[in-house]
Amino acid sequence: MSASSPTSAPAIERDLWGLLLLAPALALLIGLFAIPAVYSVLGALTGKAGGPSLEHFRTAIGLYGWDIVFTAWLVCLSVAVIALLAILIAGYLTLGANRLAVRALAWLYRWPLFVPMICAAQMMRGFLAKNGMLNNALVASGALSPTTTTSLLDWRGILITFVWKQFPFVTLLLAGAMASLDRNMIEAARDLGAGRLRVLFGIVLPLVRAPLLVGCVLTFVTLMSVLSVPVMLTADSPTMITVDMAYRINTFGDYGTANALGVISYLMTMLAAWVYLREATRERR
Amino acid sequence: MRTPAMLAIAAATAVSAALLGPARADTTLTVATAGDQNMVDYVNQYLGPKFEKAHPGVHVRAIGTGPGDAGSLAIEQKLMAESKSGTPTWDLDVVVIHQRGAAQMVPEDLLAKYRDQVSTSKLVTSPKANNALGTDVAGYVLPMFDSQVAIAYNPAMVKDPPRSFAALTEWVKKNPKQFGYNGIKGGMAGIGFVMGWVQAYGGLGARLDAGPYDAADKGKIDDALASLKAFNRDATITPGNAGTPDMLGRGEIAMGAVWADMFYTWQADGRLPPELKLVLPSPGLPGQPMYYAIPEKAAHQQLAREFIELATSPEVQAEGIVKRFNWYPGIDAQYVQAKLDPKIWNHLFVDITPQDLKADAKPFPISPYFTTILNEYERVVAN
Repeated sequence: MSASSPTSAPAIERDLWGLLLLAPALALLIGLFAIPAVYSVLGALTGKAGGPSLEHFRTAIGLYGWDIVFTAWLVCLSVAVIALLAILIAGYLTLGANRLAVRALAWLYRWPLFVPMICAAQMMRGFLAKNGMLNNALVASGALSPTTTTSLLDWRGILITFVWKQFPFVTLLLAGAMASLDRNMIEAARDLGAGRLRVLFGIVLPLVRAPLLVGCVLTFVTLMSVLSVPVMLTADSPTMITVDMAYRINTFGDYGTANALGVISYLMTMLAAWVYLREATRERR
Repeated sequence: MRTPAMLAIAAATAVSAALLGPARADTTLTVATAGDQNMVDYVNQYLGPKFEKAHPGVHVRAIGTGPGDAGSLAIEQKLMAESKSGTPTWDLDVVVIHQRGAAQMVPEDLLAKYRDQVSTSKLVTSPKANNALGTDVAGYVLPMFDSQVAIAYNPAMVKDPPRSFAALTEWVKKNPKQFGYNGIKGGMAGIGFVMGWVQAYGGLGARLDAGPYDAADKGKIDDALASLKAFNRDATITPGNAGTPDMLGRGEIAMGAVWADMFYTWQADGRLPPELKLVLPSPGLPGQPMYYAIPEKAAHQQLAREFIELATSPEVQAEGIVKRFNWYPGIDAQYVQAKLDPKIWNHLFVDITPQDLKADAKPFPISPYFTTILNEYERVVAN
């Protein structure tokens, strides 16, 4: 509403149109996210007798405490590896001298973006198995013998799949941000004798911290919700809490414990969002 | 993550959406089946066309509600929603459900007591037709088929297959990581192995599958599971029911717990080498039937009974259940054997003989033990 003429008819009309345009998106957000989220929290805090209770949280932590720790650890490790790979690849795309290699890399790195997570899991199942493609290739090359091969279908398989699937997303954000930087600064540093790695970590990276953080937070949230990869790659313990949530619902119809695990998952992603917001606020200052 | 109410609405919407197909015939008989895709294939490709041929003007429509107990749960939620809405007739005419589904739906008055009105019911002799995980379901269900968890092995790597859990434990110690099962979150084959382990080492005897439940048995169950935790150190946990035959086929393990019907089907499809075999160790592993049932207020009760009559006839049990889909018959085997080529019949009973099945094919434990064992597995073995 205009500050100079708070009651003018055109201003009210404009605001009404604005609200109308916003309404479908808002209704979707409320209907598909806010209301289910509130129900989930209430479900997690309602005991079997119907009153308020923490019993579902006790079950969730008692049975799946290690899985919660494992999930946080594995997702953080994946994000760290993804960030490092994205920095190196985006850095090479920005600073690389060999034009052919830069073009080839720019063309190649985006491929996993178009592969659905469940297909990636299925591919990795054949690729990382004990007698899978990776080990067969290593045996054929003489790097391993058939008796020394091991299956990577455990946490390592989940880590490899997460990194393979998500690093192009962060790289895309980061490479875009790096490409929009003022080249003169980079050229000046190079003229003064700084090596490429020095330019990347000393000059370029501090300037693209914000998009890197956005990419990492979004990746963290995405990976927290993946069910197909841990389900398809390993049935071992510990496993990710998404598997536990599906299991509680499918096997026991136990929505209470599943909701409690969901709330714990929310809290973890909210922590990531808080880190991002704090950094974003600091940048603005 | 959803609340029960939200999920019930979602399940009801999904099933309803499937029901809103174009009208093709005078009458549509709707069959909702839990289980893997092969269950839907069985109705669509084999049983449905056969029934339509005998009933001109009737169209059979199959709806798959998903694998495992979750598939039965989706059917339960759909019927419960219709029951609560007070609608005079319900959308589903025939439902195919697991034992846990029947054990839940019979006390909830969601199923019709139809068995006495179906002539083939006198061909059924299995106690599983009367009792589902400790719940009396007599009169409400007829078994579609029976299946069995067993140990598949590669004779080239296992010369003397273990015929008891003690022998299996010894073998696993000598051959670390060569035995695989899929834990408890990857499907019922792994759960079946865990139940078999508790049967062997829990000391609960017949109470495990006949009751009565005693909460004080938790200690015995924990002791059995503690020994399973030690066993697991030398075992491989495979990803899912299909993960075990997958690894067997690639030669990554030499033995593993599998569903017998999946094993035979994969062998027939060429996905498993023909030389692999099955063994049923003592004191046994569980198996379970799938049941045909009719919802209490199904719109086409008479047609539904005729459909089940056809499905449980010796001819269909022989041709469809045993020959095409490698399941054990739901009706008494003597009526089916007479209808089949001895070669096909024997194929199903060479590795695991009818005597083995009689001695060592167990039902799953009654519901309270089943739930306790799964929860204690999480606490004792997985943590």
